[in-house]
Amino acid sequence: MFHKLLLLMALSASLLGDDQESGYQLGEGVQIGTLPLYVGGYISADYQYLDSKSRYRIDDLAFLAYGNYNKLSYMAEFEFKEFYTLSQEQTGYSTQQDTALHVERLYSDYTFNENYMLRVGKYNSQVGFWNLLPINVLRETTSNPVSTEIIFPKFTTGLYGAYSSFNEGDLTIDMMLQHNDDFDAEYNNYDIDEHYGLGITYAKDALAVKFNIGMFDSYRVDKTTQNLYYLLASMKYETEKYQILSEIGTQSTTQGLTTEYAGYLQGVYHLSEKHAAIVRLESYKDLLNAVDDDITILGYTYRPLYPVALKAEYQWHSIHVENQFLFSFSVLF
Amino acid sequence: MKPISFLSLLVLLSLCLNATEYAVVTNKNIDALRLGQIKAFFLKKTSYLGANPVIPINLSSRHRIRISFEKQVLHMSFTRLKSYWTKQHYLGHRPPISMKSQESIKAFIEKVDGAIGYMELEKVDGSLKIVYKWSE
Repeated sequence: MFHKLLLLMALSASLLGDDQESGYQLGEGVQIGTLPLYVGGYISADYQYLDSKSRYRIDDLAFLAYGNYNKLSYMAEFEFKEFYTLSQEQTGYSTQQDTALHVERLYSDYTFNENYMLRVGKYNSQVGFWNLLPINVLRETTSNPVSTEIIFPKFTTGLYGAYSSFNEGDLTIDMMLQHNDDFDAEYNNYDIDEHYGLGITYAKDALAVKFNIGMFDSYRVDKTTQNLYYLLASMKYETEKYQILSEIGTQSTTQGLTTEYAGYLQGVYHLSEKHAAIVRLESYKDLLNAVDDDITILGYTYRPLYPVALKAEYQWHSIHVENQFLFSFSVLF
Repeated sequence: MKPISFLSLLVLLSLCLNATEYAVVTNKNIDALRLGQIKAFFLKKTSYLGANPVIPINLSSRHRIRISFEKQVLHMSFTRLKSYWTKQHYLGHRPPISMKSQESIKAFIEKVDGAIGYMELEKVDGSLKIVYKWSE
């Protein structure tokens, strides 16, 4: 079953190659007739070797639809997550399938003018840089930094407003507001019913810096809630040859810190148009779960075309049992 | 002056004299633009000038003037722009429309309010407004 699915994905990738004659470009979607409707999607499969155990997984199978009409635009993303997993241990193997289709993003934007826009719906929380483009094919490593998983909620369901100005540098001040339960909360890292966040971003030439502050109300296992506060500082420096990306944050309640710190510093060096080497250093101290870890990651990415990525990485953890190898294949179409 | 320096000066001067000049041009109805705004329009960070829609137009992807525009004005290579637009597809944004010739762009800008494009400076006449110039 798994091998058939991998074959199907490889076949899909080859069929979806650049077709200059029809004007279709892999990774840019396709317009349906002359309608304000573009469709596309992405797939990813990965392999993990951890503690003498192997895991083969078709992780994402997602469909995108978006478009705009005058000042209104929309985005819909539906996704099968962890679609098929085969786990292999010394004692044997097991498989799991999740065929539920989830709503990953569903929102509409209204652009008032050059400076102001308003969004309503479910969207990626606009915190830091990593969480804006969180899918496998668009990030540089198969894994996500721990700080992007534990400091703030990855999704927000509610309002989002932004002010932007474009002068010598680009300035954006934005705000997230949620005062209701999550829409399809299945894959949010926190089950929340409130989220208020503020961000400021300044970008000039190769450098972009961002600062986020926020509060969210998270459900505990016993269904009571607690308010969590977060701060995150981020920077990105990007040239044709390399990129440096870093985020560091902290999280607390009114009683004290829940995550003392969590952050990473990642360097990507483009060896050529198709090959990149990656180094990421991570560290975090999670007081809520009494875990702290230092992680060094070395990775390598091959992109035969930009929207197709083959990635390998090895992680060294200070918690040695977490040392692991990851490999993934992903395509955006 | 040493002969070699004089020669270098002459070569430099001749390169300067041969440099081609280009212009970012708009419909007459658009006021002056800042470079940051021009970049924002062609990268689709915004599609409005004030409350009015702006329509950026590119030349086809391998056209020499487009390559020069992307290098000198946007400061991005073809490869980097390719990755940029792939990311924008995930975010629901499309690249600007493309036209094959400077003449098509000129005709489009003359007729459509909010249109913005680029071409050789010598192709620009009184029907268009120059908002930015560069040379290579």
